[in-house]
Amino acid sequence: MKKPKGTYILHVLIPLIAIVLGVAVSFVLIALTGISPIATFRELWKGAFGMTGKVWPLWITLGQSTPLILTGLSAMCAFRVGVFCIAQESQYVFGAIVAAWLGVALSLPSWILIPLVLLCSMAAGALAAEIPALLKVKLGVNEIISSIMVNNISTLVLEYLVAFPMRADAGQKAQSAVLPQKLWLFQFIKGSRWGVSFVIAVLLAVGLYFLLWKTSFGYEVRMVGQSPRFSQYGGVSAGGVTLGMMAISGALAGLAGSMEVLGNYHRIMTGFSSGLGFDGLSVAMLGLSHPLGVFIVAILLAGIRQGAQLGLQINLQVPRELGGVLIALIILFVALENIYKPHVEAWVKRLEGGKTKAAE
Amino acid sequence: MAEIIRFDKLSKYYASTNVQASNEVSFSIEQGEVHAICGENGAGKTTLMRMLFGMETPDSGSLLLDGKPVSFASPSDAISAGIGMVHQHFMIVPSFSVSENIMLGNEQVSHGFLDKQEERNYVRDLSERYGLPIDPDAIASSLPVGLLQRVEILKMLAKKVRILILDEPTAVLTPGEVGPFLHTLTGLAHDGYTILFISHKLQEVLTVADRITVMRKGQVIGTKPSRGTTMEELAMMMVGRPVVLNIQKGPAHPGSVVLKTHDLTYRNSLGVTKLDHVSLSIRAGEVYGVAGVSGNGQEALVNCLSGLNKPTEGSMELEGQDLTNASVRTRRNHGMAQVPEDRIHVGLNMDASVEENLLMGFEHREPFSLHGILQQREMQENAGRMIKAYAIFGASAESPVRMLSGGNMQKVVLARELSSKPRLLIVDQPTRGLDVGSIEFVHRMILSQRDQGVAVLLVSVELEEILSLSDRVGVMYAGRLQGELEGKQITQEAIGMLMVGGSV
Repeated sequence: MKKPKGTYILHVLIPLIAIVLGVAVSFVLIALTGISPIATFRELWKGAFGMTGKVWPLWITLGQSTPLILTGLSAMCAFRVGVFCIAQESQYVFGAIVAAWLGVALSLPSWILIPLVLLCSMAAGALAAEIPALLKVKLGVNEIISSIMVNNISTLVLEYLVAFPMRADAGQKAQSAVLPQKLWLFQFIKGSRWGVSFVIAVLLAVGLYFLLWKTSFGYEVRMVGQSPRFSQYGGVSAGGVTLGMMAISGALAGLAGSMEVLGNYHRIMTGFSSGLGFDGLSVAMLGLSHPLGVFIVAILLAGIRQGAQLGLQINLQVPRELGGVLIALIILFVALENIYKPHVEAWVKRLEGGKTKAAE
Repeated sequence: MAEIIRFDKLSKYYASTNVQASNEVSFSIEQGEVHAICGENGAGKTTLMRMLFGMETPDSGSLLLDGKPVSFASPSDAISAGIGMVHQHFMIVPSFSVSENIMLGNEQVSHGFLDKQEERNYVRDLSERYGLPIDPDAIASSLPVGLLQRVEILKMLAKKVRILILDEPTAVLTPGEVGPFLHTLTGLAHDGYTILFISHKLQEVLTVADRITVMRKGQVIGTKPSRGTTMEELAMMMVGRPVVLNIQKGPAHPGSVVLKTHDLTYRNSLGVTKLDHVSLSIRAGEVYGVAGVSGNGQEALVNCLSGLNKPTEGSMELEGQDLTNASVRTRRNHGMAQVPEDRIHVGLNMDASVEENLLMGFEHREPFSLHGILQQREMQENAGRMIKAYAIFGASAESPVRMLSGGNMQKVVLARELSSKPRLLIVDQPTRGLDVGSIEFVHRMILSQRDQGVAVLLVSVELEEILSLSDRVGVMYAGRLQGELEGKQITQEAIGMLMVGGSV
């Protein structure tokens, strides 16, 4: 007997259809402004994944995708254990704060200090994630509401810190001191932001795949996420597994914040996060809560954003917000999957039925 | 009587599970009859009804209504053609009142506003006309299951259907509700309704049906008038081999005490005493049956023993070891296994594969896990062995457990629980909703465990089951152990007395 393949095909088809529909609608929108949609999308592609110039746009896109991969993995971990935690933003911010603080406060050789800073940021992210997780496990508090509150707290803490205790100068902008250059993370191509943090993110994606599908802990995580009562009956400590996985989730978002500070901004300022935590949620959902999906979607979203900025705004004078519109449309079409899913399902089934009959 | 429905060589194949659920099914239903469709779980009864109700499209063959070929794209097509279906799982809005549920999609409007009074009157008329009394203003969530089913039937009658499909309607009813319910069905048939009644409870089928069609593995075995047909005959047709309806068991050879509870008491978070000082002991090699009307503390007893609830007072020990406050995992490691009452939500994970469901409880044990890494090959081989040994029909290691029929799901649970070689086996309502063949299989497994020296705690509301399997019986009433019976004392009358709080 063969594995039912239909479900896998379906899982991949839905986001693909959403992307195609999103592109199609943007096509119309662009045509309405009088600019050629084909030229626009060519520019968008060149700006996102082009391989020309001193610093290839592709390198920049890969650099931009790094924090998205990590926050996407973070959201994925929460979803897999059945916690709809949307506090990646706060974990990301707390991770960044710890990095900006320790990076300036401690003076140790960089080969000790960099790993130390990264680990402490991960711990900070993990602690931030445990707030909604503990409230849910111990008291049954809805994690969406508690996550929203933790997100607000983190934004305000950041604003206070950069405005007062961590403020670097009396200048107009509230920002912290620049980290010493020895802590800056290595970049493969100067000015691309594509560096060692990307490699770490990819390794973590592979590691998480292994953890979730090849280990006993990962099995328990998936069972708790799918059916808490079943796992409790089977002897799994559902609360413990949830807290454990949420710590991993928080650590990933914290690491994203930390590596953005060490590798990219080298300091923190008000409005430090451009919503990367929230983007992680979209990435995880579009990526079907699978590490490979998260990896692909993170690069795609980073590319659209980058292409809109580089290609459209600069070369075609099309507002870069078009990138945001395109992303929003894709997410919208994923959310609307219930409308076209039955048709796609029927179509896959027919295709499958035809195949099995042919095989007989 | 005129023929109203004819199935003509209807076939349906599910590629995802590789099951031919319906194989050239042909038979006909007559106007105004109660027609029962019997068969084991997975025989294709429900698939056939889903095709009739427009929920599935047949691969080939045709469906004739009043002699004319029809094809329904959706249930609403079927309803407008006069066919209604009451599902096993009710489709009811819990926060709505009875009349709101019944009138949903069919609301009475005056001047653009809902006319609640008119709806109430309509529902009251309807319920009186068909002898299905119900309070139109009761909120659905406050009603017991038996009444909810009545709401479902009224809902279909309000939609003016002529043919009523009932998918295992008595599975959710208490023994007391079954009789009146069957009576209602006969009444409806007298009024000219055609009733299609899916069941595998042979006694009921013989009581209520005019004709009975038996299905097996997607095929029709035959249609018989219920008059002159015996239970054994039907059972034979369903399983294709003689079934021992009252299983024969040899004498028990009880060994040392395995489970011992002392004044086990459980109060829930509201302070209500669910389990009240229960002391019992079970020996190796005996089946201890817990009888009682459901809701008299059986659930609390099982949960305290399995570790899902912490007892408020009292203690329990397993082979001399105190496990009163031990975790579920510790208990399992000490040789406890459990077949839970609710296999859909507790006993299995519907979203996982057969292989993953079989792993639960073993995910940290060798050979399935080495240093925390899962051994995929071992898991696969184990699943293959289990599917063969327990004859889990229609399954591969990777197929989702959701695709299996009820009986095969229960086999997955049994396969997993027995593979831990338990010393104490707790089985809670092990045959609920199963067909004759699966019931026999489960009963044989329980007795063979007993004969291998396992202490078995059997909780069941089916008196027949308690009587035919138990060596000793404890009867629960209001959270207490009302009395214990042994050997010759175990009679239907004695248990009945204790069940309602009396004494023997």
